[in-house]
Amino acid sequence: MKEKVEQSLPWICDKCKKELALNKVKVSYLGGNFEVELMKCPECGAVFIGEDLALGKMLEVEKGLEDK
Amino acid sequence: MEKNLIESCENCLHDEPAASTAWCPIHVDVVSFMGEMEKGDFKKAYKLLEKRMPFAGIIGMICDHPCESACVRNKLDEAIAVSELERAAVNYGKTPPKKGLPVPKTGGRVAVVGGGISGLTAAYELDRKGFEVTVFEAADRLGGSFWSFEGARLTKEAIEEELKTLYTLGICVRLNQRVDGDELNRLIAEFDAVFLATGEWEQKLEIHPETFQAAKLPIFAGGGLVYDNNSVIYAVSSGKRAALSIERFVKKISLTASREREGAFITPLNYNLEGLEPSPRVKKTQELYTEEQAMNEAARCLKCRCAECEKVCPHLRKFAVVPKSYARQIQINDNVIMGTRYANKMINSCAMCGLCTEKCPISIDMEEVIRQTRQGMVEKGKMPVSAHDFALRDMEFSNSSLFYMVKSPPPIPEELREKRERELFTYPRLSFSKYAQSIFKGDAPGTEKMDFLFYPGCQLSASYPEYVEKSYKYLVSEIKEGVGLMLGCCGAPADWAGRSDLMELSSERFMQVWNETGRPTFILACSSCCAVFERYMPEIPFVSLWEMFDRYGLPEKAISGEGKVLGVHDACTTRHNEAVQVSLRSITQKLGYKISELRYNKENTKCCGYGGLVYYANREQAADFVVDRINESNDDLLVYCAMCKDLFVEGGKSTYHILDLIFGEDLEALSHRKMPNLSERHENRANLKKKLLKELWNEMPQSEMRHRTDLIISDEIWRIMDERYILLEELEKVISHAQETGEKFFNPADGTYLASLRIGSVTYWVRYAEEEGKNRVVSVYSHRMELVKE
Repeated sequence: MKEKVEQSLPWICDKCKKELALNKVKVSYLGGNFEVELMKCPECGAVFIGEDLALGKMLEVEKGLEDK
Repeated sequence: MEKNLIESCENCLHDEPAASTAWCPIHVDVVSFMGEMEKGDFKKAYKLLEKRMPFAGIIGMICDHPCESACVRNKLDEAIAVSELERAAVNYGKTPPKKGLPVPKTGGRVAVVGGGISGLTAAYELDRKGFEVTVFEAADRLGGSFWSFEGARLTKEAIEEELKTLYTLGICVRLNQRVDGDELNRLIAEFDAVFLATGEWEQKLEIHPETFQAAKLPIFAGGGLVYDNNSVIYAVSSGKRAALSIERFVKKISLTASREREGAFITPLNYNLEGLEPSPRVKKTQELYTEEQAMNEAARCLKCRCAECEKVCPHLRKFAVVPKSYARQIQINDNVIMGTRYANKMINSCAMCGLCTEKCPISIDMEEVIRQTRQGMVEKGKMPVSAHDFALRDMEFSNSSLFYMVKSPPPIPEELREKRERELFTYPRLSFSKYAQSIFKGDAPGTEKMDFLFYPGCQLSASYPEYVEKSYKYLVSEIKEGVGLMLGCCGAPADWAGRSDLMELSSERFMQVWNETGRPTFILACSSCCAVFERYMPEIPFVSLWEMFDRYGLPEKAISGEGKVLGVHDACTTRHNEAVQVSLRSITQKLGYKISELRYNKENTKCCGYGGLVYYANREQAADFVVDRINESNDDLLVYCAMCKDLFVEGGKSTYHILDLIFGEDLEALSHRKMPNLSERHENRANLKKKLLKELWNEMPQSEMRHRTDLIISDEIWRIMDERYILLEELEKVISHAQETGEKFFNPADGTYLASLRIGSVTYWVRYAEEEGKNRVVSVYSHRMELVKE
């Protein structure tokens, strides 16, 4: 799941008031584990998943795993 | 899956030959041949002849065409002129026989006695099988009875040209060599086998009818020695079959094993001629068909092949499968250990409506094949989660305290009961309002008698809660034997999703309710419920609401149809329930409508596209079903299943639910009233329970749906939510969670917030903007992949 994530998102973590930074994140589905780089709050660790990613590459990988 | 189910798919007739091909002793592929002839590709057609027919340039001209007697068009008008078309193919498409590569002669040596049709056929076939062949012919030229056709249909040159093939192959030919008994013995000693095709022989030979072997000797016979029908094509067939026997004999392989269907046979395919118009055979205007005449005559060929299921099913057509190929794909899919299960999508796109079984000449039960396949996938943990997740959660909702309930008949005051009994014969219909006024005096004892339990189902309650309310009020006012009420979901989604575990729990609950309430008869208003009751709870008696209306009379308020014509779309889940179909038609007529029967009706009805949960697993496929059905009739449709109506209206067809006709007022508007969205469907169910509890039993529900009042959701967002199966409840939970915890992202550029929450196995994201104390939803989406907390 290699998705080019925009490095300069305008979003900030509302709780910590911090700018998000690209960081390695582990995701899993149906026993499949992946490490991907996603935007994340450096303080609380909240991970940002945008609509394009969720409905694009992520959905594709989900569907692929469901048929495995 | 049950073994016999797979076996039944193996028996699928789709690959069975046409009657003509089966009855042809050498099994020329008549259907493909006709296909090429129709296209005018005479060369290809000729090649197809050559494939089964040695010396096609001659045989094609003189074949005595037994196939024509088998042609199914005989039952309709007249057989296809196969023989004439073969001659046309020879004339317009004959190409010089290809110089086949010489086959290494390693098989052995065979003597062919007699250079007539069967002898030459055997010689040719044996040469191709790698035998060194010597032909002994008594006359001074090859060809035997070929020459009797000279002039009439064949020129001398044409015969000679074809016979040249034999020489070019390098087959040894000895002319003027009469073989007698002594000579035959000599040949037996010299050759590995002898093929005897002399037309007559000096002594009677005992010849095996299948292998053509004479006694147990290395002698095989053909032509007139085995068939006395004087048939050219049977002579060819005997030569081919004897050649195979000789090969097996020399190689010491069983002569008889796996030789079924070698000669002419009757195909099990019984081609359906229903709906076909007679069209006479194209007449010849000269000795041979012109090219155009040949093409036209070939176009009359029905290209017989069993596709009865495919013809009626958008699903089988979409995936280009028939039971045989379907079952094979299922088995391959089931056996995948590493890699992708490509058939998952197909398996989840079947509507499980059973129409293919109705149409199948051998009644292959694909609905059960799919059911068991899905169950197997669930058991192995290989069912794609997202396919049925929403429908199963919807079922869970319907069986939660927000909707589910079982109630005894509401209390009816004594005086009303007496009044009703007195008036039952003269004025059977009470006004609801009067009834409602009188039963809410509060102190009336509840009726204990409960012969019936009304179970409207989850989808009718979601789409048309007001009709459920009116129907129930009608039932309690009309039926003195007591009608209780049960709300919930029958379990159909579990059945369709292969969740036998949930189905079992559901049926257990029904059995328990039924026993505890004194075993009432269920009154069902949904065809899917009927099917589930029949399949999983056969002990529980049920009757459809339509039968009750038919038996007890319709509400007086119902507006007359004034002769309007409606096409009845029967629900696929009750294709075998005649009582449902008959009563529905009866009440429709009583309401003043005329019925136009659709081509596919009653037991042959089609699915609307909701069945089998196709609607959730493959929306595109569901839409195919809708289009297929609504294009069948120009009349407005009448349905009796909520989902049928919702899907047809969504597809743009004016459609009435039977309850529209009974309880509706502005009928025109009702015929294209859009279905409520997914969130409203939950809401409608919960509100129905609340309303009925309050009005009829003067009770409050234990739990209620409460919604935020600060959300602004545009039509476009509602549409997206439905498309993505996101409910208002979920959206609200995300925003509430963000507001309670402060966990959200903020976009200073446009002032929107983005919040997420994992609910069950889905993570929901909502982007929203605060606007004057309200929250305007900007976008919603979800994913199933989970972030691993570190």
